[in-house]
Amino acid sequence: MSLLSQPKARNGTLPSMTGAASSKVIEKRTVDMQIIGEWVEPGSRVLDLGCGRGALLDYLVQNKQVSAVGVDLNFHRITACVARGLSAYQGDMMSFMRQFADRHFDRVICSRTVQELDDPSAVILEALRTGKSVTVGFVNHGFWKNRFGGLFGGRKVRNEVYTTEWHESRPTNPLTIADFQDFCAAKNIRIIRRVHLSGNWRTPLRLLPNLFAGYALYDLARGE
Amino acid sequence: MDDATEVIAYNHHSPGEIGIVMPHDFIYSRTFTFKSGQTLPGFRLRYETYGVLNTTRDNAILICHALSGDHHCAGLHSTDDRKPGWWNNLIGPGKAVDTNRFFVVCANVLGGCQGSTGPSSTHPATNRPFGLGFPFVTILDMVRAQKLLLNHLGVDELHAVIGGSMGGMQALLFSIEYPAYTRRVLAMATTAREGAQAIAFNEVGRQAIMQDPDWNRGDYEKGGGPRVGLAIARMMAHITYVSDASMDRKFGRRRKSSGAGDSYNFDVQFEVEGYLRHQGQTFINRFDANTYLYITRALDHFDLPHAYGSLEAAFAPVQAETLVVGFTSDWLFPPEQNRAIALALLRAGKRASYAELSTDLGHDSFLLESEELYTLIRGFLETKAARVFDFSI
Repeated sequence: MSLLSQPKARNGTLPSMTGAASSKVIEKRTVDMQIIGEWVEPGSRVLDLGCGRGALLDYLVQNKQVSAVGVDLNFHRITACVARGLSAYQGDMMSFMRQFADRHFDRVICSRTVQELDDPSAVILEALRTGKSVTVGFVNHGFWKNRFGGLFGGRKVRNEVYTTEWHESRPTNPLTIADFQDFCAAKNIRIIRRVHLSGNWRTPLRLLPNLFAGYALYDLARGE
Repeated sequence: MDDATEVIAYNHHSPGEIGIVMPHDFIYSRTFTFKSGQTLPGFRLRYETYGVLNTTRDNAILICHALSGDHHCAGLHSTDDRKPGWWNNLIGPGKAVDTNRFFVVCANVLGGCQGSTGPSSTHPATNRPFGLGFPFVTILDMVRAQKLLLNHLGVDELHAVIGGSMGGMQALLFSIEYPAYTRRVLAMATTAREGAQAIAFNEVGRQAIMQDPDWNRGDYEKGGGPRVGLAIARMMAHITYVSDASMDRKFGRRRKSSGAGDSYNFDVQFEVEGYLRHQGQTFINRFDANTYLYITRALDHFDLPHAYGSLEAAFAPVQAETLVVGFTSDWLFPPEQNRAIALALLRAGKRASYAELSTDLGHDSFLLESEELYTLIRGFLETKAARVFDFSI
């Protein structure tokens, strides 16, 4: 399924994804696991903001023996985390983080959550207070296919990750790699390392990431 | 029982009923010293068990009841019973607390009046009820007594301890006092510290009892006592267990009499009045007034941050995995007080989760028949415990 040729919506929904397409989605959903897994110190204390059903934390507990806690707003997602044996907290991430001392967590992860936050700047700065480092992963809306899809399709971006139509989508605040780097510079946030992945979300990419990267991961720390 | 029923009874997905259950008595015949320093030469706990203790003696789940609850939390005492035990919707074969897998224990608390030793029990020396001569009971005393029962039953460690409200307090204390013994804690609609509003309601209930002339400074015959005061205490307390929305849904402004207009007297006019009076009347037939004083006092004294220096310090020894569940409409122990428990555990570096259910049933929501709640509880109880084995020297 090409991102450029947006499938024509029938009855307002995408054609159901089967076989190769759905496995591609699962692959995309797990792409940051491996990279974040490499960044996470074994046995460290990790907080996942917007932990969903706990797939990433489960992976980190299994592979890195981290002491993990996730935060999410949804009861059913918390239920899924609890069934996995994870610690999970149902509630607002800002009020949650305010309950913890400076540098309580070794790492705070914000994986594909930033675009849905009311106040991304406040959340990332609070995460940098209570976490020694902060990992942010996001879909690059500067990626050329996302630009072209909007430009020529004349429609909200829809692809394997953003499957829903405008009227059934949560509010999103799309960002690009350039936006994010400007933000870090403006807030004096140190970028410890970064990974830009091409459109397949697998191959690392160096040239013109804002145009050619589909996905970006940043490891941040407070500026000196 | 033919083969078919056998299969159904053990099918995880088709919940069955426990059926007829029997209460038992545990007699502890050594001196028991209360937190207050007062002593009893021994005590009795009335309890029930469902399911079978496994050979490794580690599949036990302790259920802790709330203020007016008892040991009869599931099944029926006889086929004539109109109602099963108070948590029958949760506990049974194939249910969220699955008696095919777990050995479930529930005891009437020490200081209670449903068969365990308490203020309404007969003092061996005087042959009259203890009354105010009974030692002051705390939540800690209730927990210690239940631990003695579990030892007696041969339970080597608890798979989980579960409770709502006062039962949640006991569950939390279990993991603090017996950290190596307690693997999971499920605390619902509870608090780590009885707040001023909850103490205030308890005090109004106690005053209703103590201002009734029949209370007679706690000196009354078994079955007698301040029936009016106890009924009023229960009526008021009952309001704190429900909510504005749930009462309005259940009763609205509906009238008892057929006439729709106002009648100018103080007889029961509204259905909600009749309902509360009924609650009060049923309560006096099953509960003892002095016991109500003692147990509400035990609730008032419950303050983990004060008892251990801070809530984090209280939770420092905990080894259990804890799940705290709050309910949006609970205004007796509101979500915030439940969140505080999970947050303090996490700050102390423990494994803890917090989940919140949207209900409009108030404090009693923890007794709710809710598939969502059952799924959460089942998931929590049936995960392989992520036990941390420390091989370092």
